[in-house]
Amino acid sequence: MPQKILIIEDDEFLRELITQKLVKEDFEISEAVDGEEGIKKIKEEKPDLVLLDLILPGIDGFEVLSRMKKELTLAPIPVIILSNLGQKDDVEKGLKMGAIDYLIKAHFTPGEIIDKIKAALK
Amino acid sequence: MLDEKSKYKIELERTKKEFKKLQKELEETKTIFKIKVEARTKELRELAENLDEKVKERTKELEESRTALMNMLEDAEESRKALTNVLEDVDEARRRAEEEKDNTKAIITNFADGLMILDKENKIILINPEGERFLDVNAKEVEGKILGALIKKPSLKKLAELLSAEETKEGLFRKELSFKKPTERVLEVTTVSLAPREENVVILHDISREKLIERMKSEFVSLAAHQLRTPLSAIKWTLRMLLDGDLGKITEEQRGFIEKTYRSNERMISLINDLLDVTRIEEGRYLYKPVLTQIENVVQFVIDSFKEKIRRKKIKLEFKKPRKKLPEVKVDVEKVRSAVNNLLDNAIRYTPVGGRVTASLKCGKKEIELSVKDTGVGIPEDQKERVFTKFFRGANVMRMETEGTGLGLFITKNIIEAHGGRVWFESEENKGSVFHFTLPIKKS
Repeated sequence: MPQKILIIEDDEFLRELITQKLVKEDFEISEAVDGEEGIKKIKEEKPDLVLLDLILPGIDGFEVLSRMKKELTLAPIPVIILSNLGQKDDVEKGLKMGAIDYLIKAHFTPGEIIDKIKAALK
Repeated sequence: MLDEKSKYKIELERTKKEFKKLQKELEETKTIFKIKVEARTKELRELAENLDEKVKERTKELEESRTALMNMLEDAEESRKALTNVLEDVDEARRRAEEEKDNTKAIITNFADGLMILDKENKIILINPEGERFLDVNAKEVEGKILGALIKKPSLKKLAELLSAEETKEGLFRKELSFKKPTERVLEVTTVSLAPREENVVILHDISREKLIERMKSEFVSLAAHQLRTPLSAIKWTLRMLLDGDLGKITEEQRGFIEKTYRSNERMISLINDLLDVTRIEEGRYLYKPVLTQIENVVQFVIDSFKEKIRRKKIKLEFKKPRKKLPEVKVDVEKVRSAVNNLLDNAIRYTPVGGRVTASLKCGKKEIELSVKDTGVGIPEDQKERVFTKFFRGANVMRMETEGTGLGLFITKNIIEAHGGRVWFESEENKGSVFHFTLPIKKS
């Protein structure tokens, strides 16, 4: 069964690019354009992994992460933060809050991101 | 019959004889008397002479005494004059001290920073108006009391805790202390000890505004970086996918162009990172979290990260370090790592294929020195002055390799100097360069 990746990203183009690449790798994709929708879809669809952007309209990525980790059923789902916010404090905060990895979009190619996802799902 | 006349004659003769006898006696007495008088006179004369001598002597003694007394009087007069002068000086000094005290008091009262003076038992001797304001206290309420006992005021409690911490024994320099109530405030605390009476002066410098500006700038830079990175990520991903064939086959010619575009884009992404670093360094005199570190490990870590690049360029990289473990240095590990990275990156980047790069660590008495030597293109003589300036790239390397932001050495210099070290280099065009930096060893 193909693994389901939920991508929470507000930039349409970036979302399309990453989705295209993921589909090529035989992943099932679900998309959310903001934090609220993201949380809703996590609860409803229980993805195998979440790609989470931090700067989102409405509630931000940290808030989404925090709410996820508070619910027992959702907490174990691995989260990779994919953001262009790259300050040391942000990375530390994200990892401390339970994200398994923090990737700066501008520093990774789609291929490298896929590798990270595959490694996380092993 | 003796006649009356003859009787009278005999009587007269007798009387004459008596009288002559008397006369003789008188003469004798006169002579004796005369002798006695002479003797007496002689005695008297002698006595008089004696007395005269004695008087002369006595007079001489008296004269001497008088002279001595006069001298003493003179000395006394001198002493009195001197004492008067001393008293005048003392008076003058006292007046000046009063003035100084008033001046000092005026300075302390009007000082723009908060000042608090503690005696050796940590009793608050004095706190100035700014100090009252920063700590939200009243001088009358706290002067004369021991700092550690004033725990009811949270600001004082925090300050007391800071001052009694172990590391404070040597004195504090610009240690940050922040309060939330009654207003948000950040203070820099510096202590100075006054030896004679073992008092401590605590200086409180308000950096709330600086901190606010720092925070605002940090937020702005962060946001700006994010905004710039977003479109660049889109370009990067798209170009990558094109090159990987995800969007269809491409010709060799197309590949060539797209690759150049991709590299150009990478350079922009790198530039944003450097700009972020630069603003962080320029705003922070304060290094993030200096810890005692083995510098060998930092250098090794950086060298390891270049393994792939070295292999591809067939460069021989050597790491020379002394056999004995180096003394630890107190550094911001991430920043120093960045500095080492810049030096190695330059060395590898500007050394042609098959060249050689050597990193050496040396331990001096007061500092540790790292040298990075390469057999690269070197730096032209007329450009050596500008090597550490922002955005500088040598004319020779710009022609050779277009990547590179020109910020690496600028950042390295700032980092090393913030640690109290020095950076310098030697270079010869087409022969190679050696870049050095030092880090001070903290005496424990």
